[in-house]
Amino acid sequence: MESKCTNQGCDLDHGYLCGTMEALNVPMADTPVVTFWEGEIVDTKNYTFFTGKWGATVTGLGIMSRVEDDIKHWTKFPSFPPLLSQVEADGGKSLDLSNYPYVFMRWKEQYFVNVGTDCGLTIAGFYYVCFSCSDGSINGFYYDPNSSPFQKLELKSTNDGRSGFSFSTYELQ
Amino acid sequence: MFGVTVYAVDRSDPYSTQGRSQPGLSYPQTHHLPPTTMPASVASSNPSRPENLIGQLNSTHTSYEAKLKALRDLKNQIIGNRTKKLAFLKLGAVPSVVAILSSSAAAQDGGGDNLEFHESVLVQSAAAIGSFACGLDSGVKAVLDAGAFPILLKLIFHPNEKVADAGARSLKMIYQSKLAPKYDFHQEKDMEFLLSLLNSENENVSSLGASIITHSCQTAIEQQALSEAGVIKRLVALLGGSLIQRDASLESLAAVVKDNPEVASRLVLPENGRELNAVIELMRDKYPRTRLLACTCLINIRNTYVSYLQDSGIKKELILILLELLNDPGQVGDEAPFVLSNLIAEKEGMQKLAFDASIVEKLCENLQKGSFQAKRLQGIFLALADLCSKLECCRDRVLHLKVLNFVTEAFAHDSAEVRAAACIFLKNVSRSVKNLSAGHFMNETVAVPLVQLLYDSCSFVQIAALRAISNVVVDFMAHKSLFVQCGGVKQLVQLSRSMESAVRVNAVWALKNLTFLVDNRCKEEILLELSTSTLTSLLSDPEAPVQEQAFALVRNLVDGTLNSIDYVFGDDGLLLHAIGRQLRNTSKAEVLVQCMYTLSNVASGKEHHKEAVMNQLFPQTGNDKETILVKFLQSSNSQLRTAAVWTIVNLTFPSSPGACGRVTALWNAGIVSQLKCMVNDPCLDVKLQSRTALKQLMMFGDAST
Repeated sequence: MESKCTNQGCDLDHGYLCGTMEALNVPMADTPVVTFWEGEIVDTKNYTFFTGKWGATVTGLGIMSRVEDDIKHWTKFPSFPPLLSQVEADGGKSLDLSNYPYVFMRWKEQYFVNVGTDCGLTIAGFYYVCFSCSDGSINGFYYDPNSSPFQKLELKSTNDGRSGFSFSTYELQ
Repeated sequence: MFGVTVYAVDRSDPYSTQGRSQPGLSYPQTHHLPPTTMPASVASSNPSRPENLIGQLNSTHTSYEAKLKALRDLKNQIIGNRTKKLAFLKLGAVPSVVAILSSSAAAQDGGGDNLEFHESVLVQSAAAIGSFACGLDSGVKAVLDAGAFPILLKLIFHPNEKVADAGARSLKMIYQSKLAPKYDFHQEKDMEFLLSLLNSENENVSSLGASIITHSCQTAIEQQALSEAGVIKRLVALLGGSLIQRDASLESLAAVVKDNPEVASRLVLPENGRELNAVIELMRDKYPRTRLLACTCLINIRNTYVSYLQDSGIKKELILILLELLNDPGQVGDEAPFVLSNLIAEKEGMQKLAFDASIVEKLCENLQKGSFQAKRLQGIFLALADLCSKLECCRDRVLHLKVLNFVTEAFAHDSAEVRAAACIFLKNVSRSVKNLSAGHFMNETVAVPLVQLLYDSCSFVQIAALRAISNVVVDFMAHKSLFVQCGGVKQLVQLSRSMESAVRVNAVWALKNLTFLVDNRCKEEILLELSTSTLTSLLSDPEAPVQEQAFALVRNLVDGTLNSIDYVFGDDGLLLHAIGRQLRNTSKAEVLVQCMYTLSNVASGKEHHKEAVMNQLFPQTGNDKETILVKFLQSSNSQLRTAAVWTIVNLTFPSSPGACGRVTALWNAGIVSQLKCMVNDPCLDVKLQSRTALKQLMMFGDAST
């Protein structure tokens, strides 16, 4: 299934970002299904690689998972292994990721923007996400204990038919 | 700092036969005479009418007793009655009263008879003058113009305590106004006089001294002078005095230490701030006004001397006390939200503490209670704005409590301050990508009345509305057409032509935000209103911040679909040439960043787009000794370096047929050697994209030989 993802806002001080995802060709829907998602950036200041605390504690995004699940999912990204030993030790709290050319995040879809909840899609789980700073590509794995595991998300930055990269800007007052 | 303005209580006159007047607020009272019994022709003979009273005061034929009675009558009529005060003022009552004051004062000096009579006159006339000055600037002006000030000053050391009291109280009323004469703390004899006031045992005289300081102490040098003269010690001692002394001293201390860490340290450091324990105790005083003033004083000290009051217990207590003071139905309740703002503004930690104490709910409860004095409404919106300035949880709570409904009402309020405060609140609540995405603001309830405020007669309201609109138009769900339909774009464009730069910059900022990821239809509508020529002149606006917003607007216009790039090519490339010109004319980094991103966006287009960008960066004519592109790559501003690198990435994009020629030009301009220095740039974006650019440049081989 095809998806289009737009990042619309970020607040790096609080390790927060958000945007919308548009799922195209959804079997039970006549239009693309748009969801609004929020993300936690694993910057080791606001959030670590561990989703919840020890045990199944709920984070601000209403996300639950166990430490073992966290490690299992992060390890599926090729850019993660160099960090593994530190993460196993303390969740990666002492890592400085500010110069790492990959950004790790968790994305949680919060609500459907343009359809009802009966569109055939679920937003109960969340994504483990890895963004590559060099080429803008995004990879992710969906986590939901009630869905089949390791469903993949693979996104490449699009150029809207352009030969290059173009950026819009806004600034909140 | 939000200073607390004290409106003096109009004390009931011991000589008055009318009983206690209403403290604090002045409001018109019903006329004393029953309306039906006085036919117009007889009315003029009523001795209590203002004209008649004044006539009696002025007349040389009136007896002493009659004059005293007239004076008393006048004073009783005006106390607590703003309408009467204005009426008497208009008829010239003040010079008449001052004349009587003056003649009795002179008669006293000369010794002689009728001492008791003259003292009564002094008391009544001083009280009347004080009442004219109370909370009424036109009254203060009249009193000062009539020369009352020096006479009153002489009275405060009068042996008769009632006279001294009346004089001191009257001067205090004057000193509550900005129009009062500024006291000179630099003259030694004036400082000594001030100290003599502070040292007086008469509570009205000592609190007058404190009021003078509150009014006139404005500069750091004055604060220093007062501190060195030992004023602080005396003020601290007054904290243990009567109610009047305590209240006056609290305000005064705040004025002496405000924004002056050195002076504040003299209070805070000795014995770990022992002297301030008195202020902390007063926070728990039984009188609400005293509690409020104590909170204000502590907050001012804390804002000045940052390490003071780290104890979270006291911080929480401050919040709870202010929470409770919000319930006060009078002036204290009106001022409490301003004091709260002072406590939490710019401090995320304090905002969180306040949120946890349910201050948002309390403020909303207040809003629900119904119509208030404009001042309180303004205060509540400003406090809510401060709460929502940084914390998402506050914004969520406020939306959940449906505060936006009150905002719409407030937009139509008579008071400009309330309208502006509601806009500031909306701006802060909408500073939330999550809530903007959910479409809470771009709807008829909020957006339509907000656009109406763009036509407001007060420019500070317009500016506040523009700033709120800047956020509200960042609506991701494509509701922007509503904004266009209700005339928003038209008015934004109109305001972008304002003479006031603050209006221009915020209007263009709103337009910029409106064009973020917007569809071409909306872009067309904006350009139709704005016109290329207006946009071009905004690009060379005399104010750099306006230029910056205008370039960012163009940047957004050329993002999106490929054919959007053509906007800068219209009218013989008017906009494109304007960009090229500014690249060379401006030294402001923020403007250059937007220029470069605009060019970068254009360079992501087709061949002729990329060539046009090359022509702007490397003009055939002109003698640029140094390539501007190299200069930007070397900038200390990381955003500018980033924008420059992205431009090169786009110009050398591998799939484009004409890339080779551009690559050669870039090699020759020394771009490659510059980029090689940047592969380990401290800014991650610059580092990564210079590597990408180099890779692309190297693909065409080393053309420098």
